Amino acid sequence: MTKAGYSLQQHLITRTVLLMIIVFTVLSAGVWNYARRAADLSYNRLLNSASLSIIERISVQESQIDLDLPYAALSMLELAPDDKVYYEVIDHTGQHLTGYRKTPSPANYQPHSDPQFFTAKYKGEAVSWVVQSKQLIAPAANGWVVIKLGQTRNARNELFGEIFYSSLATLSGILLLTTLLVWLGVRRALQPLSIISENLKNRSPNDLRPLKTPAIREVVPLVNAINNYQQQLLHNLDTMKVFIADASHQIRSSLGGIQGQLDVTLHASDTEEIRSRLINIRQQHKKLTRLTNQLLTHALVTHRSDSIAPRSISLNALVEELLTETVRDQAHTQIDFSYSAKIDNIRIPGDKVSLKEAFKNLLENAVRYGPDTNQIDITLHPCDEHLVEIMIDDSGPGIPSHQRRQAMQRFSRLSSDVSGSGLGLAIVETVIQAHQGTLKLDRSPSGGLRVLIRLPGTSL
Amino acid sequence: MNFLLQRFALLIALTTFAMMVHSTETTDQSPSLVIFSATDTAAMQPIIDAFKQISPAIHIRYQEFQTNELFHAIQQLPEDQLPDLVISSAMDLQIKLVNDGYAQPFIDPITETLPRWANWRNEAFGFTYEPVAMVYNKPAFQDMALPNTHEKLALAIRSNNDFFMNRIATYDIRLSGVGYLFATQDEINSSISSRLKENLGRIVTKLDCCSSNIIEDTASGKLVLGYNVIGSYAMKYAQTNPTIGIIFPEDYTLVMSRVAFITRQARHVENARSFLRYLLSMEGQQIIADKSGLIALHPSAKGAFTYSHLQRDYPLRFKPIPLGPALMVYLDHLKQRRFINEWNNAILYDVFVP
Repeated sequence: MTKAGYSLQQHLITRTVLLMIIVFTVLSAGVWNYARRAADLSYNRLLNSASLSIIERISVQESQIDLDLPYAALSMLELAPDDKVYYEVIDHTGQHLTGYRKTPSPANYQPHSDPQFFTAKYKGEAVSWVVQSKQLIAPAANGWVVIKLGQTRNARNELFGEIFYSSLATLSGILLLTTLLVWLGVRRALQPLSIISENLKNRSPNDLRPLKTPAIREVVPLVNAINNYQQQLLHNLDTMKVFIADASHQIRSSLGGIQGQLDVTLHASDTEEIRSRLINIRQQHKKLTRLTNQLLTHALVTHRSDSIAPRSISLNALVEELLTETVRDQAHTQIDFSYSAKIDNIRIPGDKVSLKEAFKNLLENAVRYGPDTNQIDITLHPCDEHLVEIMIDDSGPGIPSHQRRQAMQRFSRLSSDVSGSGLGLAIVETVIQAHQGTLKLDRSPSGGLRVLIRLPGTSL
Repeated sequence: MNFLLQRFALLIALTTFAMMVHSTETTDQSPSLVIFSATDTAAMQPIIDAFKQISPAIHIRYQEFQTNELFHAIQQLPEDQLPDLVISSAMDLQIKLVNDGYAQPFIDPITETLPRWANWRNEAFGFTYEPVAMVYNKPAFQDMALPNTHEKLALAIRSNNDFFMNRIATYDIRLSGVGYLFATQDEINSSISSRLKENLGRIVTKLDCCSSNIIEDTASGKLVLGYNVIGSYAMKYAQTNPTIGIIFPEDYTLVMSRVAFITRQARHVENARSFLRYLLSMEGQQIIADKSGLIALHPSAKGAFTYSHLQRDYPLRFKPIPLGPALMVYLDHLKQRRFINEWNNAILYDVFVP
């Protein structure tokens, strides 16, 4: 989850800086190693040629090993002007011949003609050494003469520092520049976001035009999403407006009708006429009451579908409860109800109040539009593991297939002679949609209407 | 033989040391700066006096040695008897001591005025500019061309054996460290040094321990020419004695610089630094030029006994001996034995083969 106050720009830049620090550390280690090796290589060459020039001057005279130390050998080492120089020559018997005494040797040194470089402390200071041997083949002296030549490390350290710190300076420069570029890039990349937010902020609430699609490809989906969302809202708003207009019209015309009837009744003197008028008024009033109830129910289910979290409810219990109530209400009529459930315990996630309201509307419709000897059958059965089917058949006139779409719309009554509010099926549809279900109108086996509802749910 | 000589020298050194210690015990103040030096006390005294003027609290014990004695004394003395400052004209021996770790660095802005060749590792510092000269007896050379290069000297000797016979002297390199340094530097810098040595041998060159003896004998007419003497001594002598002439050879004139370093074991480090700082400063260098008879290295020092004066009067010939580890080559004992053998064979040739 992203925390509050999370800044994408800050995050990207922090990550980049961290990455740069890691890169810097790794490269510094590499440069350090390279500088160390380069410095050693240069001065080892010098040491090697000096030791070669010394080894050339070893000779055997009168069974004595002699060395004519060449001036060039040590003067060449003065190319490292501040470094001390130590050397030792050890003869073929392993005895010290000349130079400094007790100079260090590499571990397990075996004389051979290739130079070997090592670093060891001598007289309390780190000294870089080369050790090299020459094989004497003479009757008087047969064996390896070993020469060790050492130099303190001032010049090496200086060269190392020069290479290391100048490379480091270049490296830091490059990394700083990269960080700067990344910073600029991130700012540039995030600019469209601020443009969009500016655009939205500066908009008047009445401006309903979609946002202009920007030239940047990556931002187009965002703008499209905003525009889609806006279109949906506008559509919902329109629907709501139409609904309110329709409802106002229905209520007003009902009220107007009642008002008219009342006026006429006031002027009537015949008791019989008054009575018939009052019956009319009562009829109108009943219609209005029902309309009002349906409007409120519609508002209720709409609100509940938006705001109530679904809970697991037993569909069997719900339908049985509703059926009990309806049968009790219709006890004085000849309408026959049947109920069959293939499985006892069907559970669906949903809102009990809304669902009950929806089924109640369907049953009421069946009663209302059917004949007096209506036969109403309710069947529950699971379609598969995740889907439950509720089927309500009646033996009324049914709805011809070309009018079924129209029947679902609000305030559309297919015939004006029956007192309906025109909201019943709309309420049912709203509830079913809120439960991710489907609603279908069909023909029942007895020629009446079949309402088929499928809801996601499980039978345990 | 060399070994015996060294032992002998050491013996002298330690005896002298004991005597000096004895002599200083008479003063009630213990010294707060100990200097071991292979430079005449007479030359150093004016500098020490001038230093005392500005730092009266420092009590200096100045002890004079021969160059080789000094070298061996430093190597053999126990650490607590080592001096604070070591001064010597034997540049090679000084470098060897520094390379062996007897010195400590002296980091100071004053050393920045020094030429590169006169400072090694900020440990060894050259503070004089003393050419290696030939001296001659002016009356003896009245009718003769002066041998103003090494080549001309060799030719003059060969063509005038009788004139020079027994009348040239130079350092005995077996006795004098400075003499050995000059002879080895000749070998490095000149392609004709062997020929010159042989010619010097042919006319039975006299060998001496010290520049001053050679200069005196040349002035008195006992000798006609002294080869490889310390130029500053000759210049000082010539101020009062007009019979002595000085040649700074035109092909190359070696320049020796007296080298000072502060010992690693110095017990009066701050005082040693003050003295060394003074020695290298403009004031100290002017005292050297004016009073010591040595030659000041500082380019701004004024007078006849200065680097700048010499450069002006004798251009394009001075070749300072650079401080650096290459000076140790001829201290290698095999190299030394070989060099002294060759030198003996050349110079002493006629002594053994009549």
